[in-house]
Amino acid sequence: MKKLALLPACLFVLAACERAPEGTIALHEPESPFIAFNIWVKVGSQNDPAGKEGLAALTANLLSDGSTTADSYDAILEKLYPMAAGYGYNVDKEMTVFTGRIHSDNLEAYYELFRNHLLSPAATDEDFERVKTQTMNDLERTRRYGRDEELSKELLFAMAYEGTPYQHPEEGYVESVRSIALDDVKDFYNTFYVRNNIVVGVGGGYPEGFVERVREDFTTLPEGVIEPVPAPQPRMPDGIEVLIVEKPNDATPVSMGFPIPFVRGERDYFPMVAMNSWFGEHRNSFSRLYQVIREARGMNYGDYSYIEAFPRGYRTQQPRVNCSRRHHVFEMWIRPVAQTAPGNLNDRALFATRAGLRELKSIVDEGMTEGTLSNTQQFLRNYTINWGNTISRRLAYAIDDAFYGIGGDGFLESIRPGLAGLSLDRVNQAIQRSLQYDNLYIVYIVRDAEGLKRKLLSGEPTYITYAGEKSAEHMAVDSLIASFPIPVSEENITIIGINEVFERAPQAEAAAGSR
Amino acid sequence: MKLLTKLALALVLAPVGSAVAQQPAGIFPFDYRLVELENGFKAYFIKAGAPDQIAYVSVVRTGSRDEWEPGRSGFAHFFEHMMFRGTEKYPNYDGVTAEMGAARNAFTSNDRTVYYLVASNEYLEQIIDLESDRFMNLSYSEPVFRTEAGAVLGEYNQGANTPTFLLNQTRRETAFDRHTYRHTTIGFGDDVRAMPEGYDYGISFYRRYYRPENVVLVLAGDFDDAEAERLIRQYYSDWEPGYVPPQITPEPPHTAPRRRVVEYAGRTLPVLALNYLGPAWSATDRPAVATEVLGQVAFGSNSDIYRRLVIEERRVQSFEADFELARDPGLLSITARVSNPDDVDLVEREIQGSIEQFRQELVDEKLFNDTKSNMKYDFLMDLETAQSVAFSMFPYVVNTGGIEAVNDYYRTLDSVTREDVREAARRYLVENGKTVVIMVQEG
Repeated sequence: MKKLALLPACLFVLAACERAPEGTIALHEPESPFIAFNIWVKVGSQNDPAGKEGLAALTANLLSDGSTTADSYDAILEKLYPMAAGYGYNVDKEMTVFTGRIHSDNLEAYYELFRNHLLSPAATDEDFERVKTQTMNDLERTRRYGRDEELSKELLFAMAYEGTPYQHPEEGYVESVRSIALDDVKDFYNTFYVRNNIVVGVGGGYPEGFVERVREDFTTLPEGVIEPVPAPQPRMPDGIEVLIVEKPNDATPVSMGFPIPFVRGERDYFPMVAMNSWFGEHRNSFSRLYQVIREARGMNYGDYSYIEAFPRGYRTQQPRVNCSRRHHVFEMWIRPVAQTAPGNLNDRALFATRAGLRELKSIVDEGMTEGTLSNTQQFLRNYTINWGNTISRRLAYAIDDAFYGIGGDGFLESIRPGLAGLSLDRVNQAIQRSLQYDNLYIVYIVRDAEGLKRKLLSGEPTYITYAGEKSAEHMAVDSLIASFPIPVSEENITIIGINEVFERAPQAEAAAGSR
Repeated sequence: MKLLTKLALALVLAPVGSAVAQQPAGIFPFDYRLVELENGFKAYFIKAGAPDQIAYVSVVRTGSRDEWEPGRSGFAHFFEHMMFRGTEKYPNYDGVTAEMGAARNAFTSNDRTVYYLVASNEYLEQIIDLESDRFMNLSYSEPVFRTEAGAVLGEYNQGANTPTFLLNQTRRETAFDRHTYRHTTIGFGDDVRAMPEGYDYGISFYRRYYRPENVVLVLAGDFDDAEAERLIRQYYSDWEPGYVPPQITPEPPHTAPRRRVVEYAGRTLPVLALNYLGPAWSATDRPAVATEVLGQVAFGSNSDIYRRLVIEERRVQSFEADFELARDPGLLSITARVSNPDDVDLVEREIQGSIEQFRQELVDEKLFNDTKSNMKYDFLMDLETAQSVAFSMFPYVVNTGGIEAVNDYYRTLDSVTREDVREAARRYLVENGKTVVIMVQEG
């Protein structure tokens, strides 16, 4: 086999390598032995009809894991198998992407399958029953008895976007998915999978003329008319609003946050990237939240913050791609707080909450300093290079650029100059425009929900103990944290049982209650 | 160090190196070379990935397998956390790596603990200094140790109440009496809760296992070979050998099949797991490599039983086979999540029937050849970034102490016959080596 030399430098010059036909994003990297696909369908869970929440996700699932008019599902698996290839999908609020990646040895055989799964789905009863049954199991069991920390994040978003098309989880509710029939999926496909609603992304070492061929294939889809969904107008919380889920667990995840007024590509975006990196960079240990809660106190595994949606963060070190949205939430993710020393677990969960809020207050009141900003800029300068380290990720970023209307050399190329040019004033002004600490949604998943509610309402300090000795200085800070106020009133605390979580839409809940 | 960057760039397209080790042709598409020090430390240099980037990957050939002393399960993983707690020279590891903008982390599994940094090659010397220093001079106080034990308990609790956790722990506890594969990498809950008391043991663990003979560096990316070699020699040569092998008791042969039903105290569909004692990993032993082929042909996504149970009859919602071999003989596992609790017995009979078939008959030739192709492309498809190229070397480093075995392994795979696959089934999928675990919902 031919030995590979290092890939040439032009590999990282995004999109500049090739002029692509309309509705197409092409990143040609001729030396690469891989070809990646990213087909963006401009539809997401926001397009789910009321009562059929989860339809966009189930539709993508059926396409991805079902038969085509050319091949049965088992024949597809048989053909993909010798190539060690497959395809994936991701459905977010506003976008659905279908992704694939193949070694150049197998491009032709793979592309035929990849194309067919989107353009000629068979949508059989058998396939539908299979994927729906699997989804129902995920909703009824796995979502509730899997990772509590992921569930608490999903609940935070449901609170923050109440009454908007972003409210329901992408996978839907138990009852809404149960009501979905195969005809619903077919209707959804026919409405949204139309040629004027699809952007075709291809990257890597594909041959000349390949992109044009792919675009032409997708042009065989009919045209359609898509009703635009208005951007969500979420409600700011009124003070502190708390949701407590009761579940027999041994550690308590905490998610908190509130809506913020900017998205990628806007003026405050890079200032807030810098702020967020210093405050709570995903899976990094030098940031404030992590330092205070995990590093100095060992209360949990990690503590991070986000200015863009970041579902399933436990799976990845790198930022999520293809979760582009017209609206975002500032989110603080406190991983499950464990009983690491004698005392009450609810006190520990509240202590961690208070520590997070106290840090939030500090950044709002005091902002960043020249020193912290320049350290953060220095970190991000090289760290962000890894965000586009594979052809699949570079392609996914290019799709996100199309969503946000980011032109030029694209987002990845804009990061270094965008951060290098930041002044302290600009960062601190952006913090003032976006962050505050009086109004937050907070979600807990705990064993003793009533106990947590009582403790919250009492306003009593919640001290914690340690397995090892701590300095007097440390304990003095702990006193301040333990008594940091969480002003919340009884009507702003809701308790639900784990088996009620995402059972049905809140609107359906209200209707059932009034009967 | 700026000079170094320019040097490296100048060499980017030059043919690789002056032959400390020149490799015969094989599946691995990159040249590599080995630098071996007198103390036993090995560093492999692989040129791969994007310009100016390096992946610096230190593989300690110690994992939860090496936790042979009672009450110490989970300690290899806990110790991985302690490796970030600094030295006298670099008390703030996080601060130094943040300044470089390095993506860095670590992880532990049965047979290994891996530490990596992905960074710009302008930091090569600083990284070599930093990494060699913490492997030789780690230093932390007891209060810091106790605090970190809390973070590990938090990590344990992220998954401890899930059905998957219960199943995996039960499967190991039931299948092994003596060997340390009896516990998972995160460890038994009681052992994790007792970790704050383990300060002295931690020091002994470091002295026994974090030694040059037991650590292999894989440096992949864009860098200057000669400079890297000079720096490796400069910074790692003073590391004193002294590895003390763990006293792992081999699992005695089993004389009867085992069976256990566990109840999960939340909601779950029933999960059926058939597990067999398999062979140890080998790059050259045909029956061993044939065992990995067997897992795919008999129970993979393209097997007859998968097609029948998952796609046609839909009695099973997920069906997985894990026949990946480990450093010591471990488990070959087939796991099925069954849609209807009444079908568990039937699904078990189906799996058993499939096993019987593979013991009697030769595998279909197309499926056999497709599987070999699948395994090769599975390997090749991973070789995209400096980091993924370095990570793809884990099986060879962990099981043999070097990466040379990569080409041997795929040559052996080429030579495996259908008769070898049948022989693997006859040898390892036997009643006496079987452990069946069934997890059901409580009540």
